[in-house]
Amino acid sequence: MDGFGTDILNALILFANFVFVPALSYGSQLALGAVGVTLVYGVLRFANFAHGDVMAFGTMITIFVTWGLQSYGIGLGPLPTALLALPVAILGTIALVLFYDKTVFQFYRRNRSAPVIYLVASVGVMFITNGLVRLFIGPDDRRFADGERFIIKARAFKKMTGLSEGLSLQVTQVITVVVAIIAVAALFWFLNKTRTGKAMRAYSDNEDLALLSGINPDRVVMVTWILAGTLACIAGTLYGLDKSFKPFTYFHLLLPIFAAAIVGGIGQPVGAIIGGYVVAFSEVMATYAYKKFLKYLLPDDMAPSTLMQFLSTDYKFAISFIILVLVLLIRPTGIFRGRVY
Amino acid sequence: MKKITIAALAAIMASSVAQAEIKMGVILGFTGPIESLTPAMADSAELAFKEASESGKLLGGETISVVRGDSTCIDAAAGSAAAERMITADGVAGIMGADCSGVTTAIASNVAIPNGVVMVSPSATSPALTDIEDNGYFFRTAPSDARGGQVMAQVVIERGITDVAVTYENSDYGKGLSDSFITNFKALGGEVTATAAHENGKADYSAEVAALSAGGSDILVVIGYLDQGGRGIIQSSIDTDAFENYVLGDGMIGQSLIDNVDGDLTGAIGSLPGSESSGALMFLDLAASAGLDGDGPFRAESYDAAALMVLAMQAGGNADRATIAENLMSVANAPGKRLMPGELARGLEILAAGGEVNYEGASNVELTDVGEASGTYKILEIKDGAFNTIDVR
Amino acid sequence: MAPQIHTDQNQRLRAVIAFGLLGLGLIAVGILQSWNSAFGVLNLCMISAVMALGLNVQWGYAGLFNAGVMAFAAIGGLTAVLVSHPPVVEAWQAGGTYLIGSLAALIATILLIRSVRPRLPEGRIRFWGTVLITITAYVIIRSLFREGAGLVEAVNPAKTGFLGGLGLPIITSWIIAGFVAGGLAWAIGKISLGLRSDYLAIATLGIAEIVIAVIKFEDWLARGVKNVTGLSRPVPYEIDLQESDSFIGWVRWWYQDTLSASDNSVKLLNELVISSSSIFVKLCYSGILLAALIILLTLANRAARSPWGRMMRAIRDNEHAASAMGKDVVYRHRQAFIVGSAIVGIGGAMLTTIDGQFTPSSYNPLRFTFIIWVMVIVGGSGNNLGSILGGAIIWFTWVQAEPAAQFVMQNIAGFLPEESALADHLSDIAPHMRLFTMGLVLLLVMRFAPRGILAERR
Repeated sequence: MDGFGTDILNALILFANFVFVPALSYGSQLALGAVGVTLVYGVLRFANFAHGDVMAFGTMITIFVTWGLQSYGIGLGPLPTALLALPVAILGTIALVLFYDKTVFQFYRRNRSAPVIYLVASVGVMFITNGLVRLFIGPDDRRFADGERFIIKARAFKKMTGLSEGLSLQVTQVITVVVAIIAVAALFWFLNKTRTGKAMRAYSDNEDLALLSGINPDRVVMVTWILAGTLACIAGTLYGLDKSFKPFTYFHLLLPIFAAAIVGGIGQPVGAIIGGYVVAFSEVMATYAYKKFLKYLLPDDMAPSTLMQFLSTDYKFAISFIILVLVLLIRPTGIFRGRVY
Repeated sequence: MKKITIAALAAIMASSVAQAEIKMGVILGFTGPIESLTPAMADSAELAFKEASESGKLLGGETISVVRGDSTCIDAAAGSAAAERMITADGVAGIMGADCSGVTTAIASNVAIPNGVVMVSPSATSPALTDIEDNGYFFRTAPSDARGGQVMAQVVIERGITDVAVTYENSDYGKGLSDSFITNFKALGGEVTATAAHENGKADYSAEVAALSAGGSDILVVIGYLDQGGRGIIQSSIDTDAFENYVLGDGMIGQSLIDNVDGDLTGAIGSLPGSESSGALMFLDLAASAGLDGDGPFRAESYDAAALMVLAMQAGGNADRATIAENLMSVANAPGKRLMPGELARGLEILAAGGEVNYEGASNVELTDVGEASGTYKILEIKDGAFNTIDVR
Repeated sequence: MAPQIHTDQNQRLRAVIAFGLLGLGLIAVGILQSWNSAFGVLNLCMISAVMALGLNVQWGYAGLFNAGVMAFAAIGGLTAVLVSHPPVVEAWQAGGTYLIGSLAALIATILLIRSVRPRLPEGRIRFWGTVLITITAYVIIRSLFREGAGLVEAVNPAKTGFLGGLGLPIITSWIIAGFVAGGLAWAIGKISLGLRSDYLAIATLGIAEIVIAVIKFEDWLARGVKNVTGLSRPVPYEIDLQESDSFIGWVRWWYQDTLSASDNSVKLLNELVISSSSIFVKLCYSGILLAALIILLTLANRAARSPWGRMMRAIRDNEHAASAMGKDVVYRHRQAFIVGSAIVGIGGAMLTTIDGQFTPSSYNPLRFTFIIWVMVIVGGSGNNLGSILGGAIIWFTWVQAEPAAQFVMQNIAGFLPEESALADHLSDIAPHMRLFTMGLVLLLVMRFAPRGILAERR
């Protein structure tokens, strides 16, 4: 099994193990979050700072229901119990965002306030949600993934293939990608095929025209919140399953999510999804050290002596922002012309 | 204004003269980055205060009450405000704390030293604190990172390991210890193939692990905390099979690491201040009988910090601030009868009779002439799901 | 005009009452806790007020949402270090050449791109040409820079390991910090102003995190997370005062009644000297801070009442109309953004001066961005005096919340069975409820008193 062919295989497996698989699942989580942000932006016209903490709230309900189910011995076998708990959590999250809309945002809508006022209000909502999550579940780190952990373990893979590099594939990574595909497909079916979905798109494109043609704005707003809450809950749960749940980290997710929404063209759901993957892959690829990868591909005497890292991992989270700035400078409308002025 | 000032001062003076019990301060980061470590540290310190109070032998039967304050670990202004309140309003005689090196420096130089109050820190390990202008008021029972890194480097080299990747928690503790380790390791002929900092509280460490493993080494040195980013790094590394073995810094040592990591850690080695002297074991028993888990970072040091202040009071025969400062070194070092954890009553008796003590305590206390622990380390290895001591140096 | 005068009087009365209550609060702290604590809180109140004043210029005057206040405060703190710390000569000798070289290479690259770009044919070739130059230059600059930074950081890493500063008096850094923070604001504004207001919010949120990350990771600059401690002070040291005969004599004179009434006057004098020395130091700081605050407030009020201030409000209230009148909205926004950030930067330098050290890990968005927001909105958006009041009140609440929360939790826990899990949980999460309260206060004020304690003057 020696030779250049094996080297190429090893290099590809190495790349898949450390870059492709993690970036794909991370990208799916970001994409779901960004679609939620972009929907709210398209219809309600403001950047919702509370989105990250709403994701945390949804995940928290998932965890509580999971614990409840586990205590009754109900599970999904090899799959995590959290999937069973997800529908309940989605309902809870929807209730929360509708409550916020009634108590906070509706008032400003009636007053026709400037978008920036909504923005400040969403910061207030962010803190309250943040406090609620800590009140109920505390600030600690929680792992709630049960069932099988791996589909393939790195060592088993090595033994199986005889390669010197292993590929590990976690159950949660596969679930993330599958659930994300289902959720996005359902969303697009809704937006493109149903009356309500079409009304939403019309409202988002041109509010006045939509109102003239008899679309009920309250209904559009409510449906938007329902969709945003659902997506936030799914995104949060998938992220928590794949990594772990810690309220603090969900605040930090806000930046890559915003970056993804803007890169794709804010207000554009398709753009948000692509933006999610662009941000995730850039983050992982720019901070990956290519030394080992190149060692397999290059002849021995050309093997690099440095780590061949484009940017140190210290600045990992900065990548999403650098992308954001580049987009703002070069093409402020994003990939799919969103609204910027 | 003047009248009010006088009235207030008189009130404080009156309370300090007529007080029934001695007040001691415990200032640790009860909120902030190390909020998960501090409650057990505070409990350990209070264990020593309680032991002295209950012995009935402290200054002829005085008791100690504890005032807690939040150093926040990072916010110097808030930490100083808490210390200010503790010293000027509660009138504490001495302070056990603070924890993180940054706030410790701020509190020591802006509040404690100007007010003539002793601080004994159990966990501020920054080498910069060695040279602080402390007028004899700042001590620590934790050794400086400069020593910790040296010990770790020697242990790794003696194992025949010549190249490692290093990850450290991005704080004054992590950065300081890793600097010291890397310098010493290179001086001994080792090679560091990759270094990456990790921030606490991030959910995902796969990028850090990927970069570290790309250096090509099979051994990862992890300097961080066992319930925070350090554990996340190890978990992520096990998931992707990036490293074969681990070297752990002192913040990583504790049974909960082995219990909470999903995977096999057998063969990992680490170093921890302290010794396998009977003192460490006695402290574990003592803590267990009070319902505490004494096995964790900086708990033994916290107990010792509190015990030293109590003994210093007794040695000077007075519970005021200056007395503690004057006598702390003499009770910590030879000559005198050796004292173990749980033997405070005996020590108080000896001191009351005019004798001398040499407090060994839970972490083998021996203060250098600038008032910090000289640093005995035990070397541990994970075997059969537990840390076992294999060497002491 | 009659109602106008009436509101003005009303406003004045409200201001007097509000500041009076704040003063009473501080006196209460002085009596119940200690005067040392009271003056400590007062000084921090004034620093918070400066930061709130800066944000008010951005939000109150111009309606700009700056979610990166933290970055400007940190830049101000960093400036204080770089101005006041003595230079580390060994570090300059070790790595200075490389660092200066990389800076020169950076400037050369910019010049190169500027001169080459116009000569390339427009379109793909120009784009890819620029990309090629940028990447090549990045690799060269990065390797030069890493080499230099490594050498600098290796110089006695436990104590120095950075380039040090200029060794000037730390007070001068307050002014310089204004310029540095203003410069950063100029760059951010250049990128994100002119787009929708949300973009500024997101951009500032992100850039603030990056500024903090750079300060934390670039050890050669200011020791990163290892902190720079022991900065020089603009006021005397307590220890020196305690040893100064004239200070002791002064204390003896001030407390002559108390001392003569005491039976152990030597010990009492000693204690009085110690506590007076730290009160004296705090009073010195209070004087400097108060002077700075009054200067900034006067300038800000002048600006607000000038034609410039009226124009800013006109732009804020109706951008389209102002733009139709020929006002350059983006340019004016940038002005307000720079001025406001400069003031926040000054506040940051003040904070580092008082702490006597620079701790990068203490900058988090909660403490240094969103709390400042609550200060401005509670105090009264658009009213300078109001934001000063808001700054002081919110900081006062913030520090006094800890003893208050402990008190409340102890009382609640008293009713619960001892060692119950709920009591444990309550005391654990008590500190985190600060956040919740701040969010609630923000929303309630926005909804029911959108003009804040002191409303904007019209």
